[in-house]
Amino acid sequence: MHPLARPYPESSVERLFAPARMRRTVLEMAYAGSTVHIACAFSIIELVTVLYRNHLRYPGNDPLAEGRDFLVLSKGHGVMAQYACMLELGWLNDSHVQGYFKDGSNLKGLSDSRIPGLEVTSGSLGHGFSVGVGIAMGLQRKGTDQKVYAIVGDGELNEGPIWEGALVAAHHKMDNLMLIVDKNGFQAMGTTDDVLALGDLSAKFASFGFETLEVDGHDEAAVDAAIVQLWATGAGKPKALIADTVKGKGVPFMESDNRWHYTRLNAQTFAEAVDALGLSGAST
Amino acid sequence: MREAFSNALVRLALADPKVLLLTGDHGYALFDEFRKRCPGQYINAGIAEQNMVGMAAGLARVGFRPFVYGLAAFVPIRTVEQIKLDIAHDNLPVVLLGDGAGFVYSHLGTSHQSTEDIACTRAIPSLEVLSPADRFEMTASIDRAYMANGPVYLRMGKSDRGDVHVGPIDTLLPGRLLQVRVGRNDRPGLIATGSMVRTAVDVAAEHDLNVWSAPSLKPLSADDVIAAVRASTGLVTLEEHSVLGGLGAAVTEITSERQPTRVLRIGVPDRFSEHCGTHAYLLKEHGLDRVTIERRINEFEAAL
Repeated sequence: MHPLARPYPESSVERLFAPARMRRTVLEMAYAGSTVHIACAFSIIELVTVLYRNHLRYPGNDPLAEGRDFLVLSKGHGVMAQYACMLELGWLNDSHVQGYFKDGSNLKGLSDSRIPGLEVTSGSLGHGFSVGVGIAMGLQRKGTDQKVYAIVGDGELNEGPIWEGALVAAHHKMDNLMLIVDKNGFQAMGTTDDVLALGDLSAKFASFGFETLEVDGHDEAAVDAAIVQLWATGAGKPKALIADTVKGKGVPFMESDNRWHYTRLNAQTFAEAVDALGLSGAST
Repeated sequence: MREAFSNALVRLALADPKVLLLTGDHGYALFDEFRKRCPGQYINAGIAEQNMVGMAAGLARVGFRPFVYGLAAFVPIRTVEQIKLDIAHDNLPVVLLGDGAGFVYSHLGTSHQSTEDIACTRAIPSLEVLSPADRFEMTASIDRAYMANGPVYLRMGKSDRGDVHVGPIDTLLPGRLLQVRVGRNDRPGLIATGSMVRTAVDVAAEHDLNVWSAPSLKPLSADDVIAAVRASTGLVTLEEHSVLGGLGAAVTEITSERQPTRVLRIGVPDRFSEHCGTHAYLLKEHGLDRVTIERRINEFEAAL
């Protein structure tokens, strides 16, 4: 087991990964570190919740276990959502939350593969997916049943290597790879429609040879069912889950307000945001 | 030299099933033997170099030993960020093979020429840089790249210049200069890399100069450079690469701090090729032909 990991009783798994509590973790980190990208993390909270709770296998609760499944956060800007999961798993602790962005600390504002639990160094967009394709190809060659999930932002789909990787994944019949698009409709400077329209993503990925499904990315049961269904269908095809999400989901004044890509919390907005989660006083 | 390259890759792949050869749809005849002997370890990743390099990182993450082949104009140049972020940052054992470096594709123009690849790769932390001069250095470099078990860029330039060593090199130690000619210590010593080692040897024979080959550019042994300074009177570096950031820079980074001496850096001036022609023609355009080199060394020596 990795030094960061601590065992947790199986009975408590159901208790883990409550989206509201994870959003609170994100708020606490963002406030402690006076950092940005809160909305980018909020849009994928339910996605990572379902993945960690129901799908990702980490033998021995070890983030570096050789037989693990791989969650590649290609949109590194959402990394605080992953940190929140890692806190739930015991891979991180409260000192990581309170010490976020402090001088000499390890957890960065974008995904960094040197942190056990994070598989890629991303944030420069269009990198993680290709690495995920390579991991999937390697696992395929080894003949294991391990899975690779790659979460990409819809804005990230502007990047060419994503489409190079999509061609390769389909050509090599990587049915152990699932691309999950966090389709929150925004990128840094505006809506995806205004900046660089993406068109029909399901049709695009289907035409590349992916088995695709669209889902409400905040409906945990629907996300879980979609993932189960994608793995069960389309033998020999990589999977694409197009998750409709809301940037800033969970805190009404952040929802679909792109300023929360960049805005830092102050004492007042932090308190208001925590209140909006309905968890006031019920910390992790 | 290309045969040595192919043979070494085939030998490694046969010995280690984790070795994979990825190509961005290049190397048609070069990989005939590899494809015949190790078909399951050959992956044509398509004309998609950025994804290919990222993918190599993923393969290395789950235990494979990817060798990624492209023209130097594309691997490493097109994919510098993938090399930095996906591979070097995590010290992954991926070998990047940049073929046709320098002016090999002399008739094809700037898109296929590469005179900035050493500079770009040298500046990436944890990335080792190799630049073999002949078939013996090539074999030793491929072996070194495999043994390094970390990120390596191997530059393959003009490959038909002939041997500079008399026989196989047992082990290529990172950073070591290999003396290929012993000459006078009261005259400039030449340190060259890749295709220019042959030129250096030819020039030196006429003037009785020391010549060292530098098949390993990063790291570069400070002790060996200092020893070269002490064995000569002034140094001349020669490379089919920009005078900025390559061998000349690496040598002067050491001499300026450790053993100050005059160093003449002979390489590609800070400019693109203007014309089309044979490799020899382009060398001349950039002042890398033998006549110009001899004149510059003479002028340098006269001014010492």
